[in-house]
Amino acid sequence: MNMNRRGVLALPWLAALCTALPVVLWLAPRERRAEAPRGVLADHWDAPTVLRAEGAGEDGFLKVEAPREFSFPEDHGAHDGFRVEWWYFTGNLESPEGRRFGYQLTFFRSALGPGMPQRSGSFAANHAWMAHFTVSDVSGGLFHDFERFGREAADLAGVTPGARRLWLKDWSCEFDAAGEQVQLSAGEAGVEIRLRLTAHRPPVLQGDGGLSRKNAGVGNASYYYSVPRLSTEGTVVQGGRRFQVSGDSWLDREWSSGGLAPEQVGWDWFALQLDDGSDLMWYCLRRADGTTDPFNGGSLALGDGSVRRLSAGELTLEVDEHWLSPRSQVHYPSRWRLRGQGLELLVTPALADQELAGTFRYWEGAVDVRGSRDGRSVGGRGYVELVGYALDGATGSVRGLTRKP
Amino acid sequence: MSAFTALASLRAVLRHPWQIALSILGIALGVAVVVGIDLAAASSLRGFRMAGEALGGRATHAVRAASGDLPAELFARLERAFPALSMAPVVEFPALIEHGPAADGPRATATVFGIDVFSEGRLRPWLGEAVRAPGSVTRWELVHAPGTGYLSADLARRLGCEAGGTLTLRVEGRRSQVRVLGLIEGGDGDARTALADLLVVDVATAQELSARPERLTRIDLRIEDERDAQAALLAQALPPGVSLETAALRRGGLERLTEAFQLNLRALSMLALLVGVFLVYNTMTFSVVQRRPLIAGLRTLGVTRGEIFRVVAGEALWLGVLGTALGLVLGTQLAGVLLGLVTRTMNDLYFVVTVRELHVDWALLGRGAALGIGATLAGAVAPALEATRERPRLALNASTLESGWRAWLSRLCWLGGLSLALSAALLLVPSRGIVQPFLGLLFLVLGAGLLTPLCASGLARAAAPLLGGTLGMFGRHAARGIHAHLSRTAVAIAALAVAISATIGMGVMISSFRSTFVRWLELAIEADVYCSAPTLVSSHNESTLDPETLDRLRFAPGVEDWTSYRGFETRLVSPGDPPAPIGGQVGGQDAAQVPGSTGETEGAGGAVLTREEQRIHGAAITLNERRRNSFDFLDAEGDEIWPRFETEDALIVSEAFAHHRGVHRDGRIELETDRGPRNFQVLGTFRDFTSDSGVVLLSRGTYERNFDDRGVTSVELFAAPGASVDRLVEELRAVVPADQLVLIRSNRALRESSIAVFDRTFAITGVLRLLATLVAFVGTLSALLSLEMERAREIGVLRAQGVTPAEVRRLVVTETGLVGLIAGLIAIPLGVAIALVLALVINKRSFGWSVDLEFDLGLFLSALGLACTAALLAGLVPAWRMSRTPPALALRGE
Repeated sequence: MNMNRRGVLALPWLAALCTALPVVLWLAPRERRAEAPRGVLADHWDAPTVLRAEGAGEDGFLKVEAPREFSFPEDHGAHDGFRVEWWYFTGNLESPEGRRFGYQLTFFRSALGPGMPQRSGSFAANHAWMAHFTVSDVSGGLFHDFERFGREAADLAGVTPGARRLWLKDWSCEFDAAGEQVQLSAGEAGVEIRLRLTAHRPPVLQGDGGLSRKNAGVGNASYYYSVPRLSTEGTVVQGGRRFQVSGDSWLDREWSSGGLAPEQVGWDWFALQLDDGSDLMWYCLRRADGTTDPFNGGSLALGDGSVRRLSAGELTLEVDEHWLSPRSQVHYPSRWRLRGQGLELLVTPALADQELAGTFRYWEGAVDVRGSRDGRSVGGRGYVELVGYALDGATGSVRGLTRKP
Repeated sequence: MSAFTALASLRAVLRHPWQIALSILGIALGVAVVVGIDLAAASSLRGFRMAGEALGGRATHAVRAASGDLPAELFARLERAFPALSMAPVVEFPALIEHGPAADGPRATATVFGIDVFSEGRLRPWLGEAVRAPGSVTRWELVHAPGTGYLSADLARRLGCEAGGTLTLRVEGRRSQVRVLGLIEGGDGDARTALADLLVVDVATAQELSARPERLTRIDLRIEDERDAQAALLAQALPPGVSLETAALRRGGLERLTEAFQLNLRALSMLALLVGVFLVYNTMTFSVVQRRPLIAGLRTLGVTRGEIFRVVAGEALWLGVLGTALGLVLGTQLAGVLLGLVTRTMNDLYFVVTVRELHVDWALLGRGAALGIGATLAGAVAPALEATRERPRLALNASTLESGWRAWLSRLCWLGGLSLALSAALLLVPSRGIVQPFLGLLFLVLGAGLLTPLCASGLARAAAPLLGGTLGMFGRHAARGIHAHLSRTAVAIAALAVAISATIGMGVMISSFRSTFVRWLELAIEADVYCSAPTLVSSHNESTLDPETLDRLRFAPGVEDWTSYRGFETRLVSPGDPPAPIGGQVGGQDAAQVPGSTGETEGAGGAVLTREEQRIHGAAITLNERRRNSFDFLDAEGDEIWPRFETEDALIVSEAFAHHRGVHRDGRIELETDRGPRNFQVLGTFRDFTSDSGVVLLSRGTYERNFDDRGVTSVELFAAPGASVDRLVEELRAVVPADQLVLIRSNRALRESSIAVFDRTFAITGVLRLLATLVAFVGTLSALLSLEMERAREIGVLRAQGVTPAEVRRLVVTETGLVGLIAGLIAIPLGVAIALVLALVINKRSFGWSVDLEFDLGLFLSALGLACTAALLAGLVPAWRMSRTPPALALRGE
């Protein structure tokens, strides 16, 4: 049994993120890469409200209260009635000549309301979509990030029944009939990926059989599963060149209507694929007072198909170093030590600057792993996400944020 | 100017303060009219432009359909195909907004602007910054809750509506409710004007409110670089009937639409200034004559001619400056009054724009100032030169001036004749621009003014025996007085005649136009009952009727037959020459006449861009026997036209369309249709006053073969024989569902409302007429004042000879009455000539409407009466003053 991680934290945060994004974008547009936007938002949608999806409960949305039966491939598709849902693809790739890339392609789907009255307008929508796409050119030392928004109407964004395909403008993700293969396609400004992902293991249900509790509040939880290792083939276009690439991807899926506890301000999330065949997921919630939240957790999926749930306290996370973003002046952790349950891992970013500078600012990037498991030396690669370090940026000032001087 | 001469000048001014004041007032009124008209027109146009620019935001281009709106799914297709371009879907339409339960509660017209917040980011940043909502409004309500919107704060104030309130919207006859989530607070001046009449809603809400659930008005785009290959690719990827156009081009096109209207107003306002110039001339001449002894004395003391010239010109400059300054102030006030009228006319004719704030354009004021001072100086040149001719030591009296002036008479006549010839040439040489005919009009008036002394002298001499017979010695004396003081009486007469003739000309033109229009209405309004969706722009209606309501109306009991009308907008592909109602081209070379000489080539991507002036109005109609008879063809017989009209790809064009586009019977034009560009044969030209840019009519069958749209704008119903039309109207009103708003009008009511629109359109011209008359009155007053004062000595002689004050009064009044009469008599032919030019040349060229001129005797009589009354009123003060002048005082110098 494992405790969930990101679901707890990420879910409400991202739910809010996802819903607030277009509004922020609209209300306070700015040049790309310029400093974080401010606008009416600050006057009328105060930051805590934006950050915390207005708590689950008497709002008509379905609540995550009890474990459920998962069934694939259907559950790869959308789950109506919940406030927010996402498809989170990350991966490390390499070309035959040794050029290394990381990528992230994420689709967020957010309900505007618990349901929609009968409407005739072809643009009438009950869901908003947001997508993030990044490519880390590790060998070239470059990081590209893009964001998109759209409504689920008029063919602009959506998910086909049976979850075969979801798209936002020309970015898309398409599952095969068995739900074992996925085609990813995204591109902008001369950066492009076309990837085919194949799952070799069944999905890992995170938390309590897929129910990932975020805090003590009823309904403050999510349904959460991962497909931790998908072998990946395809092409990456970058810097005017097309690269044949192969590697491993990770899919995280989560849906919920819950909210974030007021004292929870951010999280660090690790998805590490070790070369002994095991996959480690671990998240660490940070509280406003700088302490670690008891709802931390994760899982260790072993090569033999077994999964060990990791609860709070079973692993310890130590930050060795910080990196100062020259754009945002935000300090992000940039070197970690994970210890416990026979693991002794040193995690370092493959590139220091993998900060997404879109409407919402966070760090998500490819990492390298060195260390040992049960005394045997292991290496590996993975992805790390650092959220809540730049909260005074896009979403208004959040007090008590843990931040290095 | 030395202190000495300046002092002399100042004393002269102080001695005749009323004279000076009237001159200043005359100039001020002239400048005020010009500036007022200019400011009002510019402000309303600017309001329109600001709104357009703000709503267009940073968009550089727009994708639009020939037939008005786009299929909504096109947006997703374009977004996927061109992800790098910023694009945003827009649904935009005008609506009537009401607030409160009372049927006669506050209401206003507004632009409903439907946007997609997910696509707006880089296109319309101002919108987001301007939105204010109470905290209870959740961020998704605009998108998620149907029938919600943000209302501009200005509009909210006028409607007495606050955030949280509910509005009733009337769009094309349907009533819908919209809940106001919050207000849009514009910042300062420009942004506020732009946002003054806006209701921002979600694009889906806008689709629903306009009952076009699958359509978009346009897709706004930002293409950073015109040469971007994306633009060309996108243009190629568009389906038939859809094209890419630049935002600037569209706005420019709409502005060009109103240019003819504005030029008309401006030219008419110039008449007022012209009268002002006469006044200055008069005042300066008077002051020179008054000071002949002084000037002669100064010359004796060694003051040079140049100095004398400078003194007189300097005085004129002061008059000009003071008058112009006053005129600018008055003009700004006047513009505020005129603004409503100008805006109303623009709304009737061109587009919906609400402007309440006058924008004071400094460049425009500067132009008015230059015009006022320039005109004053021009009017003073002749008197100033006159003054320099004084010889030293010879204290000449006025008679010397008069004899010298009469020597000029033949030269004036030559000049007048030349001016008239020039005018004739300008008017008769064909051109499509209207600057040329306006110049012709100017020379006509100028020529008439120059010939006035000759006419006045002739008429006065002719009147002398006549008056002598009836009024005795004083009658003869009065008539001779006019002849003897021609240098000043002629100016007064000319000023009055020009003003009165402008009144006559405009009056004849408007009344002829009106009766032509009314006759046309009689013919065109053939059906008994007209049902249409309400529209905000009278001249072209494109709102559609709900199909179910339509059927209820068509098949209502008591309706024997019906025909339908569908107004639409499309693009003219060829002939490629743009309309030329307006133009900078003076003289015969009208570049616009050469097909293919496109005035617009925007950047290198010319192939991509279409030209706004190619946008035309059309209509699809069904016909029956009575409806066919309602057409008045100018160049063909209905019998030849109708069979081909129904079956072939053919159409008929309105007179204005034929005029502006240079197409005629048996010509061909190519229209953008939903099947791509299609060729149509022109079968004939019919008379029509519904649109000044013209309209093409297609049969319903032809329209449906070429366009996908199946909407109907209005139906014309024919009552069963013997049935009461008024009762039918009542019955039809009852069959319309409560949520639908359909204008159901009897033929009589439609006729009346059409005439009301006509009258509204010409209201501004009526105001101009009034102002011209006012200036003329001031002019006459001033001229007569100076004339009579100068004659103080002559009157003194008369008084010394025993003439009583009462007799002096009678003499003066007779003389001024005669001045008025002569002015009126000169004004009548001149007024007729002006009417001819306005109706047959300028109106035809700027609007393309032909008008049957008719002359109303009453109009002439009232003009004559006006002239005499003005003159008599103006003569009262001098008559009173002179009769009281003690003879000894007047004669002291003898």
